[in-house]
Amino acid sequence: MIDARGLEKTYALNGETPVAALRGVSFGIAAGELVAIMGASGSGKSTLLNLLGCLDRPTAGAYLLDGVDAGRLDADGRAELRNAKIGFVFQSFNLLPRTSAVENVELPLVYGHLPTAEHRARAEAALRAVGIAELAGRLPPQLSGGQQQRVAIARALVARPRLVLADEPTGNLDTATSADILRLLRTLNASEHLTIVVVTHDPDVARQMDRVLLMRDGRLVADGSPASVLAGSAA
Amino acid sequence: MTVRTALGALARNLTRSGLTALGVVIGVAALIAMVSVGQGADAAVRRQLASLGTNVIMVYPGTTTVGGVRSGAGTAATLSVADGIAIGKECPSVAAVTWLKRDVAQVTYGNQNWSTALQGSNASFPLVRDWPLARGRFLTDSEDVSAAKVAVVGQTLVDALFAPGEDPLGATIRVRNVPFRIIGIMVRKGRTSWGSDQDDVVMVPFNTAERRVLGSPILGTVNQMLVSAKSPGAIDDAIEEITLLLRARHRVPEGEEDGFTVRGMTEMFETSLMASGVMTNLLAAIASISLLVGGIGIMNILLVSVAERTREIGIRLAVGAKARHILLQFLVESMVLSLAGGLLGALLGVGAATLIGRLAGWPILVSPAAVALALGFAGVLGIVFGVYPARRAARLDPILALRHE
Repeated sequence: MIDARGLEKTYALNGETPVAALRGVSFGIAAGELVAIMGASGSGKSTLLNLLGCLDRPTAGAYLLDGVDAGRLDADGRAELRNAKIGFVFQSFNLLPRTSAVENVELPLVYGHLPTAEHRARAEAALRAVGIAELAGRLPPQLSGGQQQRVAIARALVARPRLVLADEPTGNLDTATSADILRLLRTLNASEHLTIVVVTHDPDVARQMDRVLLMRDGRLVADGSPASVLAGSAA
Repeated sequence: MTVRTALGALARNLTRSGLTALGVVIGVAALIAMVSVGQGADAAVRRQLASLGTNVIMVYPGTTTVGGVRSGAGTAATLSVADGIAIGKECPSVAAVTWLKRDVAQVTYGNQNWSTALQGSNASFPLVRDWPLARGRFLTDSEDVSAAKVAVVGQTLVDALFAPGEDPLGATIRVRNVPFRIIGIMVRKGRTSWGSDQDDVVMVPFNTAERRVLGSPILGTVNQMLVSAKSPGAIDDAIEEITLLLRARHRVPEGEEDGFTVRGMTEMFETSLMASGVMTNLLAAIASISLLVGGIGIMNILLVSVAERTREIGIRLAVGAKARHILLQFLVESMVLSLAGGLLGALLGVGAATLIGRLAGWPILVSPAAVALALGFAGVLGIVFGVYPARRAARLDPILALRHE
């Protein structure tokens, strides 16, 4: 599903010394895996997420998503890839504020190939899948944090992607709601056979995943079950 | 799809959208109203010109000079009825000639009396002045020859002397105590551009005026001649023919002043036509500037909107929008704003023009061309001033846009 080979990313800041955010990262993720990418801030995990999400291109190395070399695509090609295969969930939800929940969920379909007539039904089905079908008409400010994140997850699911990328999905939520959202992600992973990659700095979140990739200083330093990786990092 | 997105974005910010479009509304309204008013002023001048008669040329006698004091034009008795007859016979570019004798006269009917203009003319007067009769008939040449005591009256005189519902036709009025039978009533002609009431008049045959009412010392002298040329293009030829003929008839030696004045009506109005044309252009220019300012307003708001919605743009890019989707969305927003503003402005402009026309008493011409031009201008404005903000939005980096606070 995901095949990252020697990914490097270097930012050149206005002629100053280039900053290397990723220094050669290689790993593979199979379809249906539930993976956490962990690391402190500055470890390169956000850069890695941007590359996995086809929002950016690697300076060197190759990133194959479903066999397609995303690094070689132009901006439009990456946009299509994002639209068809990737769903995003963000820490700050990133919903359009003056737009109803169901219209927020429809957003990826607007840029896809599905006939307009089917958008509403698909969006409502996605809201049902995350358990908030009854809130379809609400505006984001009328929803709780957990409900907003569920709308965001529904938006990530609506185009039926192969991969959902979640960037600190519980970062803005209280403990109980965080647990709900993680449970929802686990359920979707199990029931839809969806590949989910969660980026987090929180060991409690990572512990809920099947596999953890640990980043440090732009390198992948550990890869394994949560128990083994977290024990190693604590030591 | 993009159109719906754009409309949705505008609808969510209705107040701001409205205020943004207001600039274009005012610009388009001003443009249409100003051009219409300018053209209305032009039409008013032309209407006055037409009301004087078709292709009319005026011929005045010269001035008298008594002891070095020159009187005004028309005071000398240098034009005669014979001159008028000669012009009608010998000038090929002339269609008809009428000669006039004018004075003020007191008119009485029953217990009413009224001071009005007495005008003696031949039978061609209605033809030359393009002034038809409402009822009855005009004076004939045989009535002129026999100096018959018949009169044709204007509407103001009818209103002044007769009770409402009373039939003036066939009634006998007294002009300077001479009885006249009314045989015709002219249609209402209105005021001249200098404000005198053309309908306040009693018209009698030329010879009748001269011999029976005014008692002129020298017979056959006229105050003024009105000549109509065969076509608008023939006016200049007619003026030249009349001048040459009169100089020959009056035996004016080479190099000396004419002793009479020949003028086309159009000349008199050339300045006012030019002024109204200049005014139209000037007003249109000012209104165009206000439309331009409206367009800049749209660009300004769109730039603010792009900055404010950076995160939204980031979200759209993340879920798969391509740069051209974003570009199109903002372009459509800009065009919808300017076109909606343009349509509303067109309505307002037509309304304002009509109102101004009613207040000023001008025939307001709302030309479809002006409306189309203003709307087209608004559309172009929408594109031109939408491109820059839209390109800025489309070029945003999705990663930075998503992190934008």
